[in-house]
Amino acid sequence: MLLSTVIFLPLLGVIAIALLRGLGATAVKAIALGIGLITFVISLGLYTGFNADTGTFQYVTQENWITSLGISYHIGIDGISLWLVLLTTFLTPVCILAAWDSVEKGLSGFMMSLLALETGMLGVFCSLDLFLFFVFWESMLIPMYFLIGIWGGERRIYATIKFVLYTMAGSALMLVGILALYFQNGNSFDLTTLSGPFEHSDLLFLAFFIAFAIKVPLFPFHTWLPDAHVEAPTVGSVILAGVLLKMGTYGIIRFCLPLFPDAAEKFTPLIVTLAVIGIIYGALVAMVQPDLKKLVAYSSVSHLGFVVLGLFSQSAAGLQGSMLQMINHGLSTGALFLLVGMIYERRHSRMIVDFGGLSKRMPIFAVIFMIVTLSSIGLPGLNGFVGEYMILLGSFVGKAFSKVYVVFATAGVILAAVYMLWMFQRVMFGTLDKTNENLPDLNAREIVVMLPLLLFIVWIGVYPEPFLSKMEKSVGIVVTKVQTTEPAMGRLEKQKPRDTKLALQGTQHTQHEKREKEAEQ
Amino acid sequence: MPIEINWQLLMPELVIALTLIIVLVFDLFDSISKTVLGWMTIVGAGIALWVSIQMHQADRVGTQFNEMFKVDSFSLFFNIIFLVSTILVVLISMSYLDRGDRKQGPYYLLILLATLGMMLMAAGNELIIVFLGLELMSLSLYVLAGYFRESPASSEAGMKYLLLGAFASAFFLYGIALIYGGAGTTSVPAIAEAITAENKSPLLLAGMFLLVVGFGFKVAIVPFHQWAPDVYEGAPTTIAAFISAGPKAAGFAAFLRIFMEALPNLQGEWSGVLILLAMLTMTVGNVIAIAQTNIKRMLAYSSIAHAGYVLIGLAAAGAAAGNEAARSEGISSAILYLLIYCVMNIGAFGAVILAKTEDGESLMISDYAGLGTRKPLLAMFMSVMLLSLAGFPLTAGFVGKFYIFKSAIGSELYLLVIVGAINTAISAFYYLRVVVTMYMREPEEELEFMPYASTLVVGLILAVIGVLLIGILPSLMLTPAQNSVF
Repeated sequence: MLLSTVIFLPLLGVIAIALLRGLGATAVKAIALGIGLITFVISLGLYTGFNADTGTFQYVTQENWITSLGISYHIGIDGISLWLVLLTTFLTPVCILAAWDSVEKGLSGFMMSLLALETGMLGVFCSLDLFLFFVFWESMLIPMYFLIGIWGGERRIYATIKFVLYTMAGSALMLVGILALYFQNGNSFDLTTLSGPFEHSDLLFLAFFIAFAIKVPLFPFHTWLPDAHVEAPTVGSVILAGVLLKMGTYGIIRFCLPLFPDAAEKFTPLIVTLAVIGIIYGALVAMVQPDLKKLVAYSSVSHLGFVVLGLFSQSAAGLQGSMLQMINHGLSTGALFLLVGMIYERRHSRMIVDFGGLSKRMPIFAVIFMIVTLSSIGLPGLNGFVGEYMILLGSFVGKAFSKVYVVFATAGVILAAVYMLWMFQRVMFGTLDKTNENLPDLNAREIVVMLPLLLFIVWIGVYPEPFLSKMEKSVGIVVTKVQTTEPAMGRLEKQKPRDTKLALQGTQHTQHEKREKEAEQ
Repeated sequence: MPIEINWQLLMPELVIALTLIIVLVFDLFDSISKTVLGWMTIVGAGIALWVSIQMHQADRVGTQFNEMFKVDSFSLFFNIIFLVSTILVVLISMSYLDRGDRKQGPYYLLILLATLGMMLMAAGNELIIVFLGLELMSLSLYVLAGYFRESPASSEAGMKYLLLGAFASAFFLYGIALIYGGAGTTSVPAIAEAITAENKSPLLLAGMFLLVVGFGFKVAIVPFHQWAPDVYEGAPTTIAAFISAGPKAAGFAAFLRIFMEALPNLQGEWSGVLILLAMLTMTVGNVIAIAQTNIKRMLAYSSIAHAGYVLIGLAAAGAAAGNEAARSEGISSAILYLLIYCVMNIGAFGAVILAKTEDGESLMISDYAGLGTRKPLLAMFMSVMLLSLAGFPLTAGFVGKFYIFKSAIGSELYLLVIVGAINTAISAFYYLRVVVTMYMREPEEELEFMPYASTLVVGLILAVIGVLLIGILPSLMLTPAQNSVF
């Protein structure tokens, strides 16, 4: 019941706004923010009530829906989806507050789209029925389509259609996969009863994987992303980077890995190659972007490459790192997009060349931007470091793929420092342009928007334990499924205990470092 | 031998026939407002609908007239489709006709006649009866397509439809003749008995293919679809809605009945053809629809593509090869899809009629720019219908497509489903383009739209409710559809 409330409360908000929009803009904003905050507060109950001792689904609700087709309204969360649910409920009120003054036309429609989108995203993360999952997966496209298409920039129509078509092409294949699974699952769409091995598992794996890879987006399916990001309104970009991309990686960890471990193993070299190409390519392209927003968009391609790398590492540390990095990316990149949006609202330009020396005029903005930039680079003590470190460690000790990949991926970390710091330098330092002399610093509302993000950026960096402990068991289940089906090569027995030990060492190691950090401070 | 007639079984047809006579008589009185005739048609169709639903629920079935006329849950379900379409079409027609000196009496009369023809087709258990129904329906439609005599486009549409339709009827009749030559009978169950594994005479095969051609014309399957865009564009919009809905469903009803019941032993021969035609129809329909700038032509190509989706259901039933569950799932998915398609397609045409300016209808997609803010209700109607046609979840269109694809996977037609799924993505492009135009583009010129007509709005609200209700609670129509398999 609690979970259903969290999912559908935003939808109630949509209806409330539709009925009460005559009361004026402030009322609409207040309703939206109120609903967003209440949803977040209720979703915190999911966290406190979550039993970390088991990796199975909790808060499970199952109601008959379309009985004759074996479809039910079946929801529940485990340690993996818990975090994505919280990320969604956290980012939505932040976005509503961030969009407070920036929506010029159709405010009520904007807020309704945002809240409807929240319901769609939450539904995706909570569905335990493949049909239900698909319904949420597709229906979430429509509010996003309106968000980009109506409130976006110059080329918004091109961007929004490209976004929808890419996603739909992917989900068309996934639908075929879902239907094929249905018949192998004894005429049921229930995810919890699904257990392999399945016939044609290679093809089924690809049907799901391509849909998710487009969403992630994995190189070479990424071309829709820069367009969508650049044209979307600030808040749209935040949600897109913060949550929508995670739907792809979530799909991989929820469907591709546990359902088709053999096929996942088989395609690992290809996928990891693409992930590493994405890491380096995204970083290189980000480096040469003249447009701040595009730079952040390409950095997303690079960051998500890390996540995919960790997902296919077959090690607990790698998977946990990927999970953490999903949250981190949502926070850091979300924050970056918000900051870019704030500067755009003041100057109506996102071109790096138009700026310089801003730190003199906008010190608070500069400080916050610095912290977020460092978090995105992966400075120890901030969230990005923990996630990237665990991913690289897991990939290195895991035997899923050659260490060469990890070496190349690590180069991505350095490149990230290059493009982010160079960008920061060009925007914040140097001579202040005359046109920028009167730019006001952040106002109270904008600081309130950024503070919660900063809080979590530091918290995860310093003490990630509460985050990792709740996901450990659920990730463990996925890892076991992936590992036990490794082809028997003889070294399996030797490798497994060592692997887990190393992985554990990994976590301890990071915690150790954290403590050192704390001591320093 | 005296024929025992069970009048109860014939109630829906009788009600329609009676309504027809009443409308005919009342049309003679000039003093009566012609809108009353429309309401009479609605009431008559409504009673017939209610009777059909009752009979369907009570499972009151049987055959009549020496097994020539078969009332079963299948034909009753199709009656529901036809009557729902007729009611919706009359609702969207009333304001459309209500201007100038257009005669309204014959219009409703012809619609009722066509409806009666469709009901005969669905219940025909004998090729001759099916042909009778087909002609009754087609002849009424030819006249209706050319109903606006003062409009050259309408006359052209009527003429084109008549010529090509007559060809199709000839093909169909020739097919019947050849099958009669091969099987020695025109009764559906008797043909099935006459065709055995050994007795597959070339006559039968030739007859079967001629039937495919005949049906292909009637339901606008590629490559027999050329007439559809021209006729839809030229015909009165309400009639385009009508032709694209009920008659298509009637064509498929007879198609299913004849191929599944009379020619099951030729399944090996025809199911492959249907798979091919389904792929071709979906792809050609959707790809050409992308290039359209006129919304009526776009909807025409979209309705061709939708015939392709229905064909998937037929192909699934045909390819089931002894798997009883897959066969009945194929049939029920096709009939459920037809019901959903009729509602959403009439709804889409209804929204086109609603977008009426002083100079007539706005038929260019570019005219719809800015409707999202200027005419929110109209834009909402149109969006719901188009999203449903595109198959987005929570609309009926998604349920229909999902069920069709599911049935085809059940018959292991993976390639067909992949083609269908990719087509869904293609179709999203042109449906969404209209939504984009309405909500995201600024109008180039200010068009003065006419005030909404209340009957039209009622019809559209009914369609929207139907689309969303089936979308959210599919069991409402899914279970009856699953129970309507012969």
